[in-house]
Amino acid sequence: MTEQAESKHPCLAGGLIHPDQWQLPETSVRKTLRAGIRDILLQLKADFSMADQAYQSLDDLPSLSSARLQRYAPLPDFAPLGSALLSALDELRQSGAHTRKACFLVSQPFSGLPEALETLDLRVISPPANLLMADADIAAWWDEQLMTDDWVIPELADFWLRHRSGLGLIRELMARLAVDQAGNGVVGCSSWCWQFWCQYLPDLYVAPWMPAPLTGECLVDWFGQLAMPDTGQGLTARMTNDGRFVLPAPSESRESRKHSLFPKDLATLARGNPGVALAVWRRALRAKPEESESGDVDAPDATEHCWVAPLDRLSLPKVPPSTTVSTGHVLHSLLLHNGLDLERLAQVTGLPEQELQITLGRLQRADVIAFSRDSHRYRVQPLGYPDVRRYLQARGYPVDRF
Amino acid sequence: MDTSGIKSALSSITVDALLSALLLVVAASLLIFLIQKLVPVIADRLSGKPRLYLLASVPLLRLLIIILTIILVVPMLVEPSFENMVAVFGAVGLALGFAFKDYATSLVAGIVTLYEMPYRPGDWIEVNGHYGEVRSIGTRTVDMVTLDDSVVVIPHGVLWNSLMANGNDGTDNLMCVAEVFIDPNHDVDRMLNLFRNAIFTSPLTRTYQPVRVTVSAQKAGMQYRLKAYPIEPREQVPFVSDLTARAVAICREEGVPLIALPWQNS
Repeated sequence: MTEQAESKHPCLAGGLIHPDQWQLPETSVRKTLRAGIRDILLQLKADFSMADQAYQSLDDLPSLSSARLQRYAPLPDFAPLGSALLSALDELRQSGAHTRKACFLVSQPFSGLPEALETLDLRVISPPANLLMADADIAAWWDEQLMTDDWVIPELADFWLRHRSGLGLIRELMARLAVDQAGNGVVGCSSWCWQFWCQYLPDLYVAPWMPAPLTGECLVDWFGQLAMPDTGQGLTARMTNDGRFVLPAPSESRESRKHSLFPKDLATLARGNPGVALAVWRRALRAKPEESESGDVDAPDATEHCWVAPLDRLSLPKVPPSTTVSTGHVLHSLLLHNGLDLERLAQVTGLPEQELQITLGRLQRADVIAFSRDSHRYRVQPLGYPDVRRYLQARGYPVDRF
Repeated sequence: MDTSGIKSALSSITVDALLSALLLVVAASLLIFLIQKLVPVIADRLSGKPRLYLLASVPLLRLLIIILTIILVVPMLVEPSFENMVAVFGAVGLALGFAFKDYATSLVAGIVTLYEMPYRPGDWIEVNGHYGEVRSIGTRTVDMVTLDDSVVVIPHGVLWNSLMANGNDGTDNLMCVAEVFIDPNHDVDRMLNLFRNAIFTSPLTRTYQPVRVTVSAQKAGMQYRLKAYPIEPREQVPFVSDLTARAVAICREEGVPLIALPWQNS
């Protein structure tokens, strides 16, 4: 892939922007009001529906088989995004917009930025096993990690605990980054972690950049590229309710086609977050009613068709109602730290492990969080993220602004 | 007082009109009763601003219903001419002035409260040494629930000549303060930093609101005040407890002795 092509990765269509320039993709007042009222009604129902709220489809159309889902909306390869990020940073350097040795990239959860940074041909700095390191050891640890240039920290949220002894590592790194004495490298940082540290160190300036939010048009381009890239023909996706087209993207040769507002609404729902948008997109895809599942594994046609369920017919995971603070504490901690294991969760929330297990069990049954056997961490799920963010914001927790 | 004016004003009252008016007043009272009981219950299921807005709507709805009822009832009973109105309201005013002076004072104060809004349902206020959350604003009184779950009924009239402190003033931002007294022989800067970390790492802290730690030398020892905002005003007690526990744990780790019974020495 050439540098020019790399910089045009659909997830970086808006380029890298300063976090202060970030704006929520537009939506109508009606939809904002509807979402607000729905949120209030959900809170009112809190004591009446304590049962699990696992996903249930609200329409009758069959879901896609995993083989077709993988063909139409596969999980992305992050290497091209990593290359595009480097190209975008080079452009910023060449234009004089970025003059520091280290680059600081903020990203929304599930945006794929940490995975993309891991694919770069740079030395990955992993967090130490002990995050509650004594102050005296922290400087020496960073000296060792940063002594050679061209390093990358894919996710800074892995380097701290919201514990009185767990702030030292990032505080030391931030101090070095602020005076640009950390060498040549790239730091990826989750927007939730970033928000905390901006409040903890209000005068901090590390020249951060972040990918611009994806608009509806960007999503259409991206989904189109993801679907069957080898055939070059692409996917035709139409709405189940009115037959309007979602894919392929509008073009001059297809002017007569009516296109759906689904991508725009999806961009708003996902707050321009590619990971959340892709998760919802995968959930929304439907097969034709007359298609049998046995035909799914056939070789792809030149053009393939599928249907898209409207957003209001999707039952996305909701945070189960609770009258205690443990649900909020757990979800907030998981987002601040990019996922945690039980022991660390107990350290940062101050809740007993038994109480945590009860809360985690409820959240898992509701599909809001999931346990990764590889990393031994509980993580918020992209499909549940929009509701988790709303839930935390409504309860006064500090949330990211993205 | 010209009693002939009242007589003539009331002469047109019929039994039917009286019954209709009574029915209307009963219906309005029932509606007010339902609103005062149900809305706080619904509001308690919400959090954040929707809860505050819903609670604040109760007195306004009640005032609206009362005004509407008066507008509907008066023409049923008396012919709404200028003379009749002066006569009726004059008589009512005189009766209230003499017989129910304090009651009337609280009623008027209650109406003033609705537009001056020194407190609203959901506010945390302190009046005459009583601290609690305003649960409802009645016609004559304000009901406050203390941290120990006692209901304190305060006549609105008390507020004419009493000092009142409002902790959150219609918002959901309520600053809380946790205090510790410690032995003076320690590194003050280090303790300030550690206490600040303690606040920022409490899961109940609203980190986007100001966080302050102050220190002052008292007779009893060094007084540290940890000031911050909890995620919700309702969490103030667990929040202050959490901050205090964190501060005590830091003192223990640092080997700085806490001062027992500081209030006896200061």
